[in-house]
Amino acid sequence: MSDDTMHAIQPPRKTWTSVLFNPFQYVAGGMALVIGLGLMVAAAYIGSISHTHFDGVLDVHSGLKAPTWFFLVEVLIGWLSLVAFLAIAGLIAAQSRFRLVDILGTQALARGPMVLAAAVFLLPGVQRFTTYLLHKLPTLTQSPPAAPADLWKDLPLADAFVFATAMIVTLLMTIWMVALMYRGYAVSCNLRRGRAVISFITALIAAEVAAKLAIVAIARTTGILS
Amino acid sequence: MKLLPRVCPACDEDLQVKRLRCPTCETEVEGAFGLPGLARLPVEDQAFIWEFVKASGSLKAMAKLLGLSYPTVRNRLDDIIIRIKNADTQRNTLDHSVDERSDKTHE
Repeated sequence: MSDDTMHAIQPPRKTWTSVLFNPFQYVAGGMALVIGLGLMVAAAYIGSISHTHFDGVLDVHSGLKAPTWFFLVEVLIGWLSLVAFLAIAGLIAAQSRFRLVDILGTQALARGPMVLAAAVFLLPGVQRFTTYLLHKLPTLTQSPPAAPADLWKDLPLADAFVFATAMIVTLLMTIWMVALMYRGYAVSCNLRRGRAVISFITALIAAEVAAKLAIVAIARTTGILS
Repeated sequence: MKLLPRVCPACDEDLQVKRLRCPTCETEVEGAFGLPGLARLPVEDQAFIWEFVKASGSLKAMAKLLGLSYPTVRNRLDDIIIRIKNADTQRNTLDHSVDERSDKTHE
């Protein structure tokens, strides 16, 4: 019976889609946690070079200069905030028991796309355009507003194109990250359909608010934000 | 060997065993025998339980055997537990209604 039984319980064949959007079928718990922590440290380090902040659960912003440790703290707060709220949501919504290490691991691995988002901001065109935008900021907010022709007369077109492309890539990475976060939560807590979607969205919103407040508080306390 | 059908292809009700035969002496026993609980589960669930018992009930060993993550395997087991509980409830309800009918007949 052994061959017959093994044939009957063989998992579905691995495909690119299943590996990219639901890697948690194959890896979770401690292994996912180790890989995810590595990816988060890499994202924070690259972010510190390209001045890319992951200042929330879903946020990606560029520009503000800060010490390297702050980039790591931002990433860790975003991750732990979501883990905490998903664990609470899981306790309420899940009908079976789950392990905290699975939520920690899957949510850490789900943040992998941040590495690519941070790397995109390393492109010189993106860096130059960010500096240009920061330089233009007072003109954009002045009262009375500047004439559009004056605002954009020295617009570096090539850099603007690279910047726009980088924004699209960042948006795609964020969508991919949210899809991974959802799959990680659903697999860790054995949740499906409405129950999974509603509890995930609620936890995501709560985690975003909590992470944002914590990051701003740390930035203000340490003088990074005035 | 052919797979044992569990439900009626016409009305989807659980099937019963009507006749059993000894392959050695060809003795046949006829009656209305209910399938055991495990045999009423889908083939994949029976196979999972078979391998799970062989692995001493270790989900970690099952995860390694199937090349899947621990929560994925545990979710599969949870789903089987739910199906077994539902089958139990269904069976109890059925037994209860049969008992009630036979009580009324005796009255």
